[in-house]
Amino acid sequence: MPNSTALEENLAACHTCLKLVSVDTGQCPRCGSTIHSRSPNSLQRTLALLITATLLYIPANTLPIMYTDQLGRTSESTILGGVVLLLKLGSYPIAAVIFIASVMVPLGKLLAMYYLCFTLQWGNPGSQRQRTQLYRLTELVGKWSMVDVFVVAILVALVNLTGIIVFRPGAAALAFAGVVITTMIAAEGFDQRLIWDHRRTVQP
Amino acid sequence: MPATRMACPSCDLLFNLDTLQEGQSASCTRCHAFLTTRNANAFANVASFATTALVMLAVACTFPFLEFNRAGFENATTLPQTIVQLWVNNMPGLAALTAAFILVIPAMVMLLLLVLNLALMQNNYRTWVKPLANWVFHLISWSMAEVFFVGVLVSLVKIAKMAEVTIGISFWAYAAFCILFVMAISQLDRFQSWQKIEHLT
Ligand SMILES: [Zn+2]
Ligand SMILES: [Zn+2]
Repeated sequence: MPNSTALEENLAACHTCLKLVSVDTGQCPRCGSTIHSRSPNSLQRTLALLITATLLYIPANTLPIMYTDQLGRTSESTILGGVVLLLKLGSYPIAAVIFIASVMVPLGKLLAMYYLCFTLQWGNPGSQRQRTQLYRLTELVGKWSMVDVFVVAILVALVNLTGIIVFRPGAAALAFAGVVITTMIAAEGFDQRLIWDHRRTVQP
Repeated sequence: MPATRMACPSCDLLFNLDTLQEGQSASCTRCHAFLTTRNANAFANVASFATTALVMLAVACTFPFLEFNRAGFENATTLPQTIVQLWVNNMPGLAALTAAFILVIPAMVMLLLLVLNLALMQNNYRTWVKPLANWVFHLISWSMAEVFFVGVLVSLVKIAKMAEVTIGISFWAYAAFCILFVMAISQLDRFQSWQKIEHLT
């Protein structure tokens, strides 16, 4: 006999301590958290955060992330501009790290989370196991996008020789940190069990 | 005694863990999510990795992290100084984010895990154990020590073109901290920790 889910047995797992209790339990007897079989409004909350992240993504990529004052001249660079500059300097591995962490990961994560939300709403011919793996991947890589923000912080703090070379952070640094933080909260709030709730007949 | 059961956190499928032997791990048969590991030494391991990690972090905060040298100008900074530098240069946002993600949260996670696992090891229940466990499992995903370390490597390459950079002791201490942090977390098991807490209550 195949296993049944907690919900099918009228049980709910506490989201904090994983204790199994009856679904109508108000508070977890073990850790005191409120018991929900599934996070309430998980989909709406995740979508709202995703839209916020998408809006922040625009200034994060169009505004400069860093200004460089060198020998009386000021130059500014956006995230993509920084990657192009690294390519010109011949630093291919670093250019790849920044491109993956700052461009591919945030964009891919946003798209993946939208995809997961929409397939929950309108059903999906794809496999549930693949979608779970996609979710795990977005959770795993999410925070790596902060690399570029940390690079700016290090350069600004460390290289500060007035008159010779000074780095200053641009508005995009905080906007970009905002994108990373909101998408992380969005992914955390997404209840992945919903992927398996619908269409139990679909082959995993 | 009632059966030890667990619902997969990823797909809600129920599993009976009564047959899980010491040293064995269980994962979900349907979605392959990791469920739990029975390891009698886990609490002690987390505590010792966390202790070593905290020592390394203390070292990393005390000594110079990177030394920057160009045309006779020298800039030696420790990690906390780096953050103070951002703060005094009117970048409170960047300073606060960096401080939280690379120092405060990682240090808190290690400290709270140390205290929690010592309590669980010694089989003594205190009223603060539950709120502490509640907090620490939420904090873990917000530690970005290893991300910062990659950021440091990228910065090194960027600065190398314009000045001479010397790597300080703190650089290595922070690298060790990142590794120990990951090792401590890998020994941490949410299900077993809470089972133990319930057992002690
Ligand atoms: Zn609970
Ligand atoms: Zn599962």
